Amino acid sequence: MAWDFGYTKEEEAYRQKVAAFLDKELTEEIARQNWEDLGLDKEGRAFGNKLWESGLLGWSWPVEYGGKGLSPVYDFILIDELGKRWSAHVPNDVAYTMVGHTILRRGNDAMKKEFIPRIVRGEIEFGLGYTEPEAGSDLANMKMTAIDQGDYYLVNGQKTFNTESHYSDYHWLAAKTDLKASPYKGISLFIVDQRAPGITIRPMITMSGERTNEVFYDDVKVPKNRLVGEVNKGFYYMMEALMSERNYVFTPSRYYPYLNMLVDYAKKTTYLGKPLAEDPMVRQKIAQIAVEIEATQLLSDHARWMEWNHQTMTCEPEITKVVVSEMEQRMVDNAMQLLDQYCQLEEGSKYAPLKGRIEWEFLHSFMTTIGAGTSEVGRTVIATRGLGLPRG
Amino acid sequence: MDFTYTDDQKMLKEAARRFLAGACPNVEWYLEMEKEEKGYTPALWNGMAELGWMGILFPEEYGGIGGSMLDMVTLMEEMGYAALPGPYFSTVILGGCTILTAGSEAQKQEFLPKIAEGSLRMTLALTEPATTQYNPSLITVKAKAEGDSYVIDGIKLFVPDANVADWMIVAARTAGKDADRDGISLFLVDSKSPGIAMTLLKTVAGDKQCEVVFKKVKVPKANLLGEPGKGFAVIEKTLQIAAVAKCAEMLGGSNKVMELAVAYAKERVQFGKAIGTFQAVQHLCANMKMATEQSIYITYKAAWMIDQGMPEARKFAAVAKTWVSEAYKKVALIGHQIFGGTGYIVEHAMPIYSRRAKTGEYAFGNPNYQREIVAQELGL
Ligand SMILES: Cc1cc2nc3c(=O)[nH]c(=O)nc-3n(C[C@H](O)[C@H](O)[C@H](O)COP(=O)(O)OP(=O)(O)OC[C@H]3O[C@@H](n4cnc5c(N)ncnc54)[C@H](O)[C@@H]3O)c2cc1C
Ligand SMILES: Cc1cc2nc3c(=O)[nH]c(=O)nc-3n(C[C@H](O)[C@H](O)[C@H](O)COP(=O)(O)OP(=O)(O)OC[C@H]3O[C@@H](n4cnc5c(N)ncnc54)[C@H](O)[C@@H]3O)c2cc1C
Repeated sequence: MAWDFGYTKEEEAYRQKVAAFLDKELTEEIARQNWEDLGLDKEGRAFGNKLWESGLLGWSWPVEYGGKGLSPVYDFILIDELGKRWSAHVPNDVAYTMVGHTILRRGNDAMKKEFIPRIVRGEIEFGLGYTEPEAGSDLANMKMTAIDQGDYYLVNGQKTFNTESHYSDYHWLAAKTDLKASPYKGISLFIVDQRAPGITIRPMITMSGERTNEVFYDDVKVPKNRLVGEVNKGFYYMMEALMSERNYVFTPSRYYPYLNMLVDYAKKTTYLGKPLAEDPMVRQKIAQIAVEIEATQLLSDHARWMEWNHQTMTCEPEITKVVVSEMEQRMVDNAMQLLDQYCQLEEGSKYAPLKGRIEWEFLHSFMTTIGAGTSEVGRTVIATRGLGLPRG
Repeated sequence: MDFTYTDDQKMLKEAARRFLAGACPNVEWYLEMEKEEKGYTPALWNGMAELGWMGILFPEEYGGIGGSMLDMVTLMEEMGYAALPGPYFSTVILGGCTILTAGSEAQKQEFLPKIAEGSLRMTLALTEPATTQYNPSLITVKAKAEGDSYVIDGIKLFVPDANVADWMIVAARTAGKDADRDGISLFLVDSKSPGIAMTLLKTVAGDKQCEVVFKKVKVPKANLLGEPGKGFAVIEKTLQIAAVAKCAEMLGGSNKVMELAVAYAKERVQFGKAIGTFQAVQHLCANMKMATEQSIYITYKAAWMIDQGMPEARKFAAVAKTWVSEAYKKVALIGHQIFGGTGYIVEHAMPIYSRRAKTGEYAFGNPNYQREIVAQELGL
């Protein structure tokens, strides 16, 4: 044991394989479905399939479900390499990086056999069905009910902000199964066919143009075998998965393309006859972006390292989440100052610099400190779980 | 990847924590060291020498223990945690490492074993009043060849621990024009040489930084350190090591402030509750934690890169120095906020740390200076 910030030979070889594949196969169109959270289109699905066919998906998954049985480090490498090329996550990432792990941990054998191989192959996607109008940060306050009817659960209620639901195959649903118990002991998780009768999906278009959804359940029948793990353990499963999910979802590597783009822009753009890159203020701002990305990447590396070494994470991935999301906002602000008035121009506009990506990122950056848990809740977690401060 | 100390480093850390807790007993003692002209005690110095810390980075043939930069930062972190005063940093890193990088075999044989046994104190006279910059090409102090000697003239400013250094390394221009990269030479100068005048500055942290005036100071040619005119690269290397070691020191301070403030937040009661129950205070604590966590890994990564001899070490040392300087400053400010009025009193531990945070920020390149290095490394 000794401090080491490099990858092993095997890991490095995998990284290079992935890099070579992506440099060849990852087109901008596919990448942007991903970075703009547009949802996977035909090309996106085909790309995911190619990733599998090329033998680059699933290294961190058990052999019996089609994986190689190796440590999560391989999936982290994959995600980082995608991130470095504008692709924020793996195709069908709710399945691959979030839901799949809980199924693996808590699902019964039949459920694992039914779902994991397809997840490992990148074939199916889930919509994440947690948030409700009355239950945002306070998830325990959810109202949706799943009532045991003997042969099936009868589900009624409303979810909101379920981002992938309009194109996903399944809904990863949290609902109350014991109305009398405390919410912590009365919520269960289900896998529901996203197109099941009784489900209505309504679009909610965000300010950055990505789509999320309201999902309504009206007497939807969910087969018993679609209950995940034990009944009334859902809240616990959600919390149990949270830290690991942050390790997969909040990846600083996805900011390197912005940095590279800005460096390039500063070199190629002249102001009063001189490259912007010679302006000390420009140099300072771009360097600060680089400093923050590098320092944040290490938070992520450390938290993930804890995960693949089976160490107990208390707040480390939460730290990454809060820092990454706030860094994104500072990065955008700095980038916009470099572009000056041009920063307002969106893609397709005459004069739009850098394909309008900074303008889009500005709009997007309002959600980073909210989605998947707000910065305020994050700080409270860090203070109470990480530092042992008394709960208020 | 691995984020763990070696067993030896763990032992070093524990030993350092124990020794320094006893050697730097309380705030009164720090304040005394700040007032005291030397700024440390012989007992403290000898104790550290006995523990082998002076030679931690030197090969065994020079009386050292052949440690790595990662060992060094492990120790420096504890020194920062304990807010250790005195010329350790100047002697071992500024003096010792520079000799190790550039010295002839004879110079290494002469100086390094003495440093390692604790009988010699050193420093590096680099920055100057007109620029105060660490960029070696901006050096204007001149050294002229005259017969068997060089003659040094000029003023060096913010020279750490020059008041107690037996020898100093002086960077001076021997050729070229102002701002040339070439033409900077390094000299081993006996502090008692005629023509050297020293003034102790009064600094925010009460550390010992000096003005050193050289008036026709004669230095034998044999005391040239490294090749004449090629000092730039040597200084850059020392500064890289110094910046990362300073990061480790600041990181240790940051950890200490967080520890003190969080403990206080758990025990201080206002409005009938521990103030750590209030979310406003919790979020301040979370900010300390986030800033400090990032400081750890960026510091150790930079040290690791230096050990690996990676060219990216230049960038990462600068990234680390930028980040940790800003982080420690932030953490110190929050620490004060949590302690309320009591942390503002001079006998409190907080000012010991917050004043050092400021000194650390400016040592070996402030964030603006370091960001410029990062910009260069990004190809800007
Ligand atoms: C684009 C987008 C996509 C999303 N995708 C999904 C998805 O796919 N699936 C899904 O289930 N959810 C999704 N969400 C929902 C997301 O998880 C919630 O928005 C988030 O948890 C915050 O909940 P809220 O919006 O109801 O805000 P609220 O919880 O109402 O918070 C409002 C404000 O109050 C603060 N606050 C709340 N409680 C506390 C507290 N205890 N202490 C201090 N401050 C507090 C918050 O920090 C925030 O500033 C998505 C959200 C967005 C914006
Ligand atoms: C230089 C100086 C001169 C002064 N002069 C005078 C004077 O002349 N006369 C006089 O009477 N007093 C004086 N004071 C005292 C001053 O008013 C107090 O220091 C101040 O009210 C804060 O109280 P405290 O120091 O006990 O901190 P605490 O109240 O213990 O606060 C510690 C921390 O907890 C936080 N905190 C406490 N309660 C809450 C809460 N409910 N919610 C969120 N956070 C909370 C605080 O914001 C702070 O960060 C002076 C203080 C100083 C430093």
